[in-house]
Amino acid sequence: MTTVVRLENVRKEYGDTTALDGVSLEIQAGEAVAVMGPSGCGKSTMLNMIAGLDRPTSGSVRVHDEELGRLNETKLALFRRHRIGMIFQFFNLLDDLPALDNVALAAQLTGSRVGAARQRALELLDELGIADRRNVYPAALSGGERQRVAVARALMNRPALLLADEPTGALDSRAGEQVMDLLLDLNQIGQTLLIVTHDERLATRCASRVVELTDGRVTHERTLERA
Amino acid sequence: MNAVWRAARAAVRRRRMQTFVIGLVVLLSTTTIVVALALLSATSAPFDRAFARQAGPHAVALFDPTVPADQLTGQRTGVAAAAGPFGVVTLELRDSAEFGPPGPLTVVGRADPGGPVDKLDLWQGRWPSAPGEIVLNEPVQDPDDLRPRPTALTLDDQRFTIVGLAHSLAGSADAWVTPAQVAELRPTATQMLYRFSGDVSTKAAVEADLAAVTAGLPLTASQTYLVVKEEISADVGVYVPFLATFGVLGLVVGVVIVGNVVSGAVVSGYRHIGILKALGFTPSQVVAVYLVMVSVPAAVGCVLGTVAGALAAQPLLSEGFQGLGLDVGIGVGPWIWLAGLVGVPATVLLAAFVPAVRAHRLSAAEAISAGSAPRQGRGTRIQHRLASTRLPRSVSLGLGLPFARPGRTAFTVAAVLLGVTTVTFATGLADTLVRISTIEDTAAGQIGVQPSNGRFRIAPDNGPPPAGPPATTTRTNEQVEELLRGLPQAARVTAIHRLPMSAAGQTEPLPVNFVRGDYSAMGYAAELTDGRWMTGPSETVVPTEVMRGRGLAIGDQVTLRLGGGQAVLTIVGETMDGPFGPPALFVDWNVLTTMEPERVVPPWDVFYQVQLVPGGDIAGYVAAVGAADPAIDVWNTMQVSDFLVTVVSFSSVLSLLLSTVAALGVFNTVVLNVRERRRDLGMLKSIGMTPRQVVTMVLTSMALVGVVGGVLGIPLGVLAHRFVVPLAADSARVSLPQAVMEVWHAPTLLLLALAGVVIALLGALIPARGAARLTIASVLHNE
Repeated sequence: MTTVVRLENVRKEYGDTTALDGVSLEIQAGEAVAVMGPSGCGKSTMLNMIAGLDRPTSGSVRVHDEELGRLNETKLALFRRHRIGMIFQFFNLLDDLPALDNVALAAQLTGSRVGAARQRALELLDELGIADRRNVYPAALSGGERQRVAVARALMNRPALLLADEPTGALDSRAGEQVMDLLLDLNQIGQTLLIVTHDERLATRCASRVVELTDGRVTHERTLERA
Repeated sequence: MNAVWRAARAAVRRRRMQTFVIGLVVLLSTTTIVVALALLSATSAPFDRAFARQAGPHAVALFDPTVPADQLTGQRTGVAAAAGPFGVVTLELRDSAEFGPPGPLTVVGRADPGGPVDKLDLWQGRWPSAPGEIVLNEPVQDPDDLRPRPTALTLDDQRFTIVGLAHSLAGSADAWVTPAQVAELRPTATQMLYRFSGDVSTKAAVEADLAAVTAGLPLTASQTYLVVKEEISADVGVYVPFLATFGVLGLVVGVVIVGNVVSGAVVSGYRHIGILKALGFTPSQVVAVYLVMVSVPAAVGCVLGTVAGALAAQPLLSEGFQGLGLDVGIGVGPWIWLAGLVGVPATVLLAAFVPAVRAHRLSAAEAISAGSAPRQGRGTRIQHRLASTRLPRSVSLGLGLPFARPGRTAFTVAAVLLGVTTVTFATGLADTLVRISTIEDTAAGQIGVQPSNGRFRIAPDNGPPPAGPPATTTRTNEQVEELLRGLPQAARVTAIHRLPMSAAGQTEPLPVNFVRGDYSAMGYAAELTDGRWMTGPSETVVPTEVMRGRGLAIGDQVTLRLGGGQAVLTIVGETMDGPFGPPALFVDWNVLTTMEPERVVPPWDVFYQVQLVPGGDIAGYVAAVGAADPAIDVWNTMQVSDFLVTVVSFSSVLSLLLSTVAALGVFNTVVLNVRERRRDLGMLKSIGMTPRQVVTMVLTSMALVGVVGGVLGIPLGVLAHRFVVPLAADSARVSLPQAVMEVWHAPTLLLLALAGVVIALLGALIPARGAARLTIASVLHNE
């Protein structure tokens, strides 16, 4: 098994507040890990460390053998571009672009040609069942559709690791179910997944392992048997 | 109110960058507005303002000195105010050229410089209080610019101590002494100064008023203020269009930027407004919070900007008007201070009030969603099309950004446009002035020569007076020319003899410059504004001022008369100017010889202009002339024109100021755009947009604004140049050669187009780098 993520004694402080307090964690390729815990326990901070959105105060964050603490901002951006796909609770789509261009954007930043990027985006939208909504702007999409577009965008550059931050938090139950199915399907075809969530149902359904954080520390880990 | 104040204070503290930007923009805009208003104020009838300030006399009347004073003061028909009677005596100045050429001086006896009419500006020293003391009439100058001068002068045979310098705009005297002193000198006339209550707008009206007040009195001479006004207006009029243009541009830029910045601050705060409403703030309290929030930095900016504007305006105005005698009353008046301290804050409040009232009407939910809900329709089609291009994605995204907020973009384009217009106008103006200066300098030669008449010596402008006592040369004027030609490095020599000539059909003598030598090759032909250069003695070329003043036109014939002879000349060309001195017809010297063969022109009545071979040593030539004949005054004429320096200086200062304000407008727009789009920026960074790509995207968005502002601003600047420069020239009663107006060439226009981009990029750079450093995590996870 290949280790995709390795956190070693990661500590993160914001002024007097300690968000992460010596967290160590490994995620292997093909795993689906859910991080759970109460608000303010450090879940999102840990996700930010792994995504290269923030730097630890101390400790080591390695993703695909890249020591993120040693990368400058540009290299971190390139790292995110090629290695990471991110899904957010509030989708974070560009309102000015239709669904297809939102998805294609991630490839275009790498210098891909417009035609090729759109072709790949269309394939992804098709796989996610919303190809017919490709020319619709985010404001006219339902919550579930927006999150599917966000997932398609996250998968655009074939990331080694897909990070999802409360991916069903802003969706109704039906749309939430659809997204859960989608994540499960992705993991089943080999996509490594790290999900930060409050939702026990999402965790138990999509993850093979649950890591529980309390006050910035890993307090419990459990492996799940998926149906 | 307490809650309003607390909420506003918290908002000011939380939005430090916005508060700083508002304060800075208001400061610079207020500075610009105050300078602009001071310029506009100064240019609105400067003579009339200064004349009114001095309570200048509409008419100066001279009477026989035997008329009793009570008769002169008793006549009051149509008189608003009168001063006098003052004794007048004409004395001969026999000193050297430090006080100008020798000649008669009108000396008036006055007890003090004040009074109801002709309130003199005693700007240096004190008023005479004893016999032998005198005050000279001179325009106000910067004391630092005053050259050392003698403290006494001789008039007739009497020595006077100069105790002060005063200025009468009306020129009611050349100098003043005590009344007792004038009485001792036996006055030749009695002076009365009148301000009339009726119509004084025309010479005829003033003369009618004067006739009414002097009816039955032995009036010996008089002069209306309109004569002085016309002379001074020709000098100052040339500044007015320039100052007014910069003034209007500054005013518009200031108002546009303040409006954009303040309204942008309120619009970007809609979400905050919604939250305040949700907390229970009444709509009026919400409006009050925003008005207070904007007012705090704006008030600081207004006060500092007004002071800075007043300080900046004063030297500009002094440069433009001092020395013309019009600096009296020119400055930053109380109403300008009021405009800066009250008008600008009112503009700020109005700019904030309009969007705040919109927020007032919105429900809490609508206000919150206006600040955070997805935007629909705005620029989406353009973004979609740009996404299809082959441009790098950061560039195509940047190109689409301005269309998301068309109103804000329009304001920003307007700011850049006005900045580019100013830079374009200033560049064209400077180029034209340099070309004029070059043409004039070339034609005038590098060296001026004037033999002394043995009574005084010529003191060159901005140079030390010649050493040694005046002496008379033994050479004839032809021999002087021969001497000048014979010295090493002389390339061209022109001899000029100025003579007022009687001319058929003209009520007053025509000023004529009889020219000899290399005048056709000196470069005066480049000053032609119409027609062609003269090819023989039967032709003449005439400056515009003479053409207009005497009703002449190209093709007309002028008949000059001298002694028993006459010469008929055809006007073949019109020139901008001519040699030093008042404008006069160019006429070949042979015409003078033909009309009066026996006439002997003394050398001191001839002015010589010399051009040296390329790279010639001017100082060496000047020294050689002095060594060959010490009675010949010779000086280097290659000096930078004061007018050129003044206009180029203030146009540069104002261009820089307006460009900075325009760049600040861009800065503010980018700050607002980045704040509104921080979620988008965070997302873009999260999917791999590098800091460089973020900077590229933001700079591209403003570069587009800069290009549009530049493309639109250049024609406006060119139009302003085409309109204002000839207008200024017209005020100075000259026409301009076409060559000096043809300053627009492809490289210049390209550079000016870049000016818009530079203004935009400079304004956008700091917030763009800030956007690149945006912390993604905090943006994306805190909705």
